[in-house]
Amino acid sequence: MTEIRLANVTKTYAGGQTAVDGVDLTIHDGEFFVLLGPSGCGKSTTLRMIAGLEPISSGDLFIGERRMNEVDPKDRDLAFVFQNYALFPHLTVKGNLTFGMKLRGVPASEQERRLAEVTAMLGLAPYLDRKPGQLSGGQRQRVALGRALLRDPVAFLLDEPLSNLDAKLRAQMRTELVKLHRRVGRTIIHVTHDQIEAMTMADRICIMHDGKVAQVGAPMEVYRNPADTFVATFTGSPPMNLVPGRLENGAVHFAGASLPLDAKAAAGEVTAGFRPEDLSLAALPDRVEIQTSVVAVETLGADAILVVSLAGGQEIEMRVPADTRLEPGSPVSVHLDPDRLRLFDRQTGKAIVRAR
Amino acid sequence: MTAAIAQRDRWFGFAMTLPGLFALVLVVLFPILFTLWTSTSDFTLLKPSNDAFLGLSHYTQAFATPEFRHALSVTLAFVVAVVTLEFLVGFAVALALDKVEHGKAVYYVILLFPLLMNPVVVGLIWKMFLHPTLGIVNYVLSLVGIAPVDWLGVPDNAFWTVVAVDIWHQVSFMIVLLLAGLAALPKEPYEAARLEGAGTIRCFFWITLPLMRPVIVVTLLIRLIFAVKTYDIIYIMTRGGPGQATELVSYYIYRRAFVGLDVSQASAMAVILLLVVLALTAWLHRYMRSLAQ
Repeated sequence: MTEIRLANVTKTYAGGQTAVDGVDLTIHDGEFFVLLGPSGCGKSTTLRMIAGLEPISSGDLFIGERRMNEVDPKDRDLAFVFQNYALFPHLTVKGNLTFGMKLRGVPASEQERRLAEVTAMLGLAPYLDRKPGQLSGGQRQRVALGRALLRDPVAFLLDEPLSNLDAKLRAQMRTELVKLHRRVGRTIIHVTHDQIEAMTMADRICIMHDGKVAQVGAPMEVYRNPADTFVATFTGSPPMNLVPGRLENGAVHFAGASLPLDAKAAAGEVTAGFRPEDLSLAALPDRVEIQTSVVAVETLGADAILVVSLAGGQEIEMRVPADTRLEPGSPVSVHLDPDRLRLFDRQTGKAIVRAR
Repeated sequence: MTAAIAQRDRWFGFAMTLPGLFALVLVVLFPILFTLWTSTSDFTLLKPSNDAFLGLSHYTQAFATPEFRHALSVTLAFVVAVVTLEFLVGFAVALALDKVEHGKAVYYVILLFPLLMNPVVVGLIWKMFLHPTLGIVNYVLSLVGIAPVDWLGVPDNAFWTVVAVDIWHQVSFMIVLLLAGLAALPKEPYEAARLEGAGTIRCFFWITLPLMRPVIVVTLLIRLIFAVKTYDIIYIMTRGGPGQATELVSYYIYRRAFVGLDVSQASAMAVILLLVVLALTAWLHRYMRSLAQ
């Protein structure tokens, strides 16, 4: 059982700016854990602190039962894959892969055996004698992964490993990483700014914002029940629609519609949120009708995004079938699934729990 | 149509470079060709018109001259000593400075001072410093009870003194170039190595040295080319002496041509020196091109 636990971990730089601010996280053994957030949110710094590449300013890091704050990176038994792979440019693929084993004095026969195992797993055998400069991005990525795999560590730390690959290769590597995780069974902490990566690969996602943890949860949990408006708009493409509303007399009034509900919050200004796929053109039973006018239809192929504007002029987006034909400017009523409506405090942006 | 425009552009470009080309031909190409011609004839300054073609006899003569061979060997020793020591000192200082976080600019300025000085000035200053009776160096040594040293008057002393002064003057060149190379090294391989458990020494020999190889080779070659041509410091400090202990080949050629007035023979030796420098330069050029690919 090797759990990785961060307790109130903070990173403050010499200049005074705080990159990571009181992060509490528990990453379970064998979990595929994704740190997701926009650039500058502190996710990479958090990962580097776990690896020991950045000193922790305050708070504690535990791997298993042991406090690791002052432990040398090499003794933490973690493998790190860098965004730009950090291969040794002067060494061949084989040299890169065996670098660590040579350092640790692993016997030559053992080196060969493990090298063969990992190269077979990653399909690197044909490239062993090439230098990194002669490899494609995807191959370099594999070498970097191979180097990590050869360590046989407690956990793999991946710092945006897919961001330098083109879209097609990225999708392919996503699947391969998930397969690899299943096969190796070790903890993976994966840092990314790409919510699709997070949604597709993670057992659990931690969304970070301004150095703080915004929400931790399973992908669908985070997607369905965002903890605040930041998470609501950072996940999903297009993001969650947010419209101003008002909670009054046991009902929420927004976008010219109202919905009775028993929210636990007192009356006041709220933000109503709903995802593009929670709206429909058809008037299904129990749905809340909203009057809008058509702005544009953006066809995506499999489906389309219908952009409509509310009475106040605010635009919202909804997912519609690809063959939807609507004249810009024409009025249209859209229908919201009331179960999917989420409410946020207008001031703090925090989610208001609905009793249901 | 476009071909015509391209043609006109080419002519225009050619016309624009013409004055520069003309100047180069006048001050570089013409002297080289004249030297080549002089080296194959019995040119004398007394009677420039009276000369006969002698072929390569001056070249064979050059290698048969013991003084020239001696100058070549002194030059070789000087170049090897200077380049090796400057590299070792330069690399050590560059590695130390690479880790400096504050006040790097101050170090740069201090380091660049010697490099910005004219070699003649450097020679004159050090000649004064090292004067056997009036120089500050012997004075300082006397304060700690060391007997005065005749820095430039004893053959072995003179050679190493000239080497030391050249190092003082030129080592910054190495430092600055190597430092730029070190600063440009990627950071991540070091982090990766650190995670694998590599210490400072391992990192240096397994990562820094191999990654720095191109910079090191280029720096060494450039310094080599300039060291082979060293002249000013010798002229100011020792005039090749005592005896011929510090007579580098360029100084010997000068002496042969303008003191001995044996212009044709000196020209042949100058061409030989030129070929050596040219070979080194071609090597440098090819290496840099291979890097670019």
